[in-house]
Amino acid sequence: MPGKQLLMTFPVTATSHTLADYVGRGGYATLRRVLDAMKSEDVTKEVAASGLLGHGGAAFSAGRKWGVVNLNDHQPHYLCANADEGEPGTFKDRWILENAPHLLLESMLIAAFALQVRNAFVYIRGEFDLPYRRIAAAVEEAYAAGYFGENILGSEFSCDIVIYRGAGSYVCGEASGLLSSLEGKRGYPRNRPPRLTVQGLYKRPTVVNNVETLANVTGIIAGGAEAYRKVGTAKCPGTQLVSISGHIARPGVYEVEYGYSMQQFLFDDCGGMLPGQKLKCIVPGGISTKVLTAAEVAPLTFDHQSFAGAGSSIGSGGMIAIAEGTCMVRLLQVMLRFYHHESCGQCTPCREGMGWLHKIIDRIVAGEGRPDDIDSLYRISRLQDGMTICGMGDAAGYATIGILDKYRDEFEYWITNKRSKLEGNLEGTVHA
Amino acid sequence: MPEIFINGKPVQAEANQTVLQAALANGFYIPYFCWHKELSIAGNCRICTVQVEGRSWVEISCNMPVSEGLHVLTDSDLVRAHRKATMQFITLNHPVDCGICDKAGECTLQDYHFAYNGSPSVSREPKVHATKFHDLSERILLDNERCILCSRCVRFTREISKSNALGIKNRGDVSLVRAADDSPLDADPYSDNVIDICPVGALLSKPFLHKARVWYLKPTPSVCPGCERGCSVNIWHRKAEWHLRALDPKQNTSIARVTPLENPAVNGPWICNKGRDLAQVFERARADRAMQKGKPVELEAAIAAARKLIKEAAHPVALVSNWASDEELSAFKDALGARFTTFVKRDHAPQPGEVIEDDLLIRADKNPNTAGARALFGEASLREPSYPANTDLVLVWGEGCNFATLPAGAKIVFLNSYLAPENGFADVFIPVSIQTERAGHYTNFAGVVSAFERCFAKPATVADAQEVFAQIAPGPAGTP
Amino acid sequence: MKHLIPEFEKLKSRFPAGFESSLVLPCVRRIQEDRGYVADEDIAGLVEYLGVPRIQIEEVLSYYTQFRRKPIGRFHLQACRNVTCSMRSAERLIDHLAKKLGVAPGQTTADGVFTLSTAECLGSCGTAPVVMVNDTYHENMSVEKLDRLLDELKGQG
Repeated sequence: MPGKQLLMTFPVTATSHTLADYVGRGGYATLRRVLDAMKSEDVTKEVAASGLLGHGGAAFSAGRKWGVVNLNDHQPHYLCANADEGEPGTFKDRWILENAPHLLLESMLIAAFALQVRNAFVYIRGEFDLPYRRIAAAVEEAYAAGYFGENILGSEFSCDIVIYRGAGSYVCGEASGLLSSLEGKRGYPRNRPPRLTVQGLYKRPTVVNNVETLANVTGIIAGGAEAYRKVGTAKCPGTQLVSISGHIARPGVYEVEYGYSMQQFLFDDCGGMLPGQKLKCIVPGGISTKVLTAAEVAPLTFDHQSFAGAGSSIGSGGMIAIAEGTCMVRLLQVMLRFYHHESCGQCTPCREGMGWLHKIIDRIVAGEGRPDDIDSLYRISRLQDGMTICGMGDAAGYATIGILDKYRDEFEYWITNKRSKLEGNLEGTVHA
Repeated sequence: MPEIFINGKPVQAEANQTVLQAALANGFYIPYFCWHKELSIAGNCRICTVQVEGRSWVEISCNMPVSEGLHVLTDSDLVRAHRKATMQFITLNHPVDCGICDKAGECTLQDYHFAYNGSPSVSREPKVHATKFHDLSERILLDNERCILCSRCVRFTREISKSNALGIKNRGDVSLVRAADDSPLDADPYSDNVIDICPVGALLSKPFLHKARVWYLKPTPSVCPGCERGCSVNIWHRKAEWHLRALDPKQNTSIARVTPLENPAVNGPWICNKGRDLAQVFERARADRAMQKGKPVELEAAIAAARKLIKEAAHPVALVSNWASDEELSAFKDALGARFTTFVKRDHAPQPGEVIEDDLLIRADKNPNTAGARALFGEASLREPSYPANTDLVLVWGEGCNFATLPAGAKIVFLNSYLAPENGFADVFIPVSIQTERAGHYTNFAGVVSAFERCFAKPATVADAQEVFAQIAPGPAGTP
Repeated sequence: MKHLIPEFEKLKSRFPAGFESSLVLPCVRRIQEDRGYVADEDIAGLVEYLGVPRIQIEEVLSYYTQFRRKPIGRFHLQACRNVTCSMRSAERLIDHLAKKLGVAPGQTTADGVFTLSTAECLGSCGTAPVVMVNDTYHENMSVEKLDRLLDELKGQG
């Protein structure tokens, strides 16, 4: 186990996701206490004091986000759990939806109470099937037990929830794109100002939080901010669900305490690389983060500061272990193809730039690369960075510049020799 | 009133302004494609970027609220570099159609390319291709390759004309502006405004397609006579120095197109499609020969004959035109008003299928100067004409008179511009000039007076619609 | 789609007032579930029921990858070809599927049974490579498992 566990604290069985099992583990007791004994502001204060960070990739303080919502503005507020989970390499929110849906629901009720939200939503990517069925079933169970609806548990607090299914669009994982989709339109992200906590869903104050961020709220309120802060590091409290995949022996979802040794995580908890393979590099937190070589990863601990210090980021916790012998040119090609496919097309640098990047790398892979192509890839990425309506421009930039910085030689080789240095292999080589 | 600093200069901004608005209002030019002062903020073109002093990045200014003490730079090296880069992105897949594109000469993309980029493309990749001759409606052609997806047209149909006719389908660089499948743009009487606000040559007028290069054309300010709103328009026709030699002389005296002339007091920057089609009104077959009872005569002879009839008439009635200008109506009143019982005729009634009235511009009275006529001749003149039994002369001026309603025994002097069977029926028929051949003013329904200027010379054989009344007015007693 | 309106009414009651526009995505999904795709008359019917502009529905149908305006094969095979799946042999699987079915990605077999598509990350990287068959994720796939799956599906077809 990679450090202290806060969420993955029970064995997953055939029934562990049900209301009965959840209540058996103490579920909904915290909600009861909140409704009986706490004020909305106090809940927000506790969450802020805990230092809970966003777990969707941006790591923004949840308490600070909640604090922007004016509780005295006499207008509807909305809360939305972001279950779009489209960042390649990431599949950890899915674990919560499938195995701990009631933890999410109880946390959302507590958050809704804090933010005076009458209508809450879970926006779940359209492709997810079992996760959707689990959370939808949990909602029905929760309604039947009186945890949603009017005057919950005899209090004055009422709350309804809708599970809203997306339909296939990566940018709907971006908070404003998500809300555009939730309004029944294309998932077009929006410029800020105004912030979503001021004008979000149908122009009302809206808090969008990642599923995992919200899932932590119950524990924080149950045990208190102090107890939460004892987990993780001083600057980076708590844990992160990490989805690890790639050429790793034991892929899956692990809860990693912030500050845990990366070496230990990769080579003990996850079993190291597949038989006969050696680690070349990792994608740390979804493909929109800069890759780190095996040497760079070795001394790191799993927390925001350590990864930032190495020039990358924990991102969405979607870690991909890449073995020696994997062609990084082909890998970037797959990534750029993805960004090109997912660009919503609204703003100039992304709409035109993603296609441009994709065409250049396709040309390199086809053996028609030119010496100035590497500079072009850099230049286009830098020109998108910070210039787009949403973070897509930055994302493609991190992916591209990260790989170019560390593996320029492979690109130069392909351009010069019109073929891959590593046979275009994506499956890594197996060492005898 | 927050004070901000643009390029070091203090500017008094208004509380709810954006930096772009404050800059434009105070003489600083920041380029923009997707922003439009009448539409919501889209913030997608990314060319309006500015640099907040002290920051090492640029941000769009169309969505940046002003705040006290804000210091921005609109022309720093960083801003210029980003503008150039944005132009490279925008033109990355843009076809170099200028040689055959109607927008050339009035194209924002051309202007900005030369101002902010000016270099050939740095990309050697094949361009994305898309539909080039898409019938967006019966009146509008769409070239998707030229489109920069600024969404102005979409926002116009959502926010101004409210037809919700347009949207953007697909996504990424295969996004396409499209109308809904049930072709609602045809039913949008304001559809053609999207042609004006399109900053590139993507949305084109089909009637105007490939008719003329805009730099050969001159816009003459005028007023649309289609209804009593009297929208300000520009009537475009060949500049005198660019008149075509040979070919049909009509080419040099025809209306190439009509566009809105921005007028905050009347129509803002918009007009309805009827105004676009004014050529269909003004270029109908003209009456160019004076006649007496159908027999062609010289203009002078007809004028003399009319003068004689008017002198001899004891109980003349006049039906004046509400397509006449304030000046022409005054001229009539001065020369003949004392003699005639005057009614103001409605020259045009709404056509079948025409929008009668709406919340935007269109008014039910399809005539430009009822108000001007009312002011001169009084409310009573607007009633149905009634003819006392002793009516011996009716002066009919303009269209829309049903001759069957005129008293059988009266002589008829008819002033009209267009070919009509009634022209031959009148005792004296005098062809007169039309709006594009005169200068004058109309008074709209709200009392706003707007001027129209002359576009073309009147044909030699027709009378000037203002001067003719002094000519047909009888002289003092004892003179003809 | 008119027969679905009672269902839509129930759905509408779960949303706050004024959220008609939000109903576009769930209603379209249900219509597609019912018919297999969204037909022109479904769009007209939905416009009437929800009161949203027709163009909004057309935009939504064309923007999201999961919505379609034409029917496809009985079994929609969507093979992820994103990063981890490609690292775990997805490209070989896709080639194999294409050869076996005799269609390229984006096409439907002549007998109308299988439609083959590629997909971007499905959020199942830990069990890569992943192939979706209609709504179901088939994880940890291999060529052998794919062959068995195809046989099973053909048996159902």
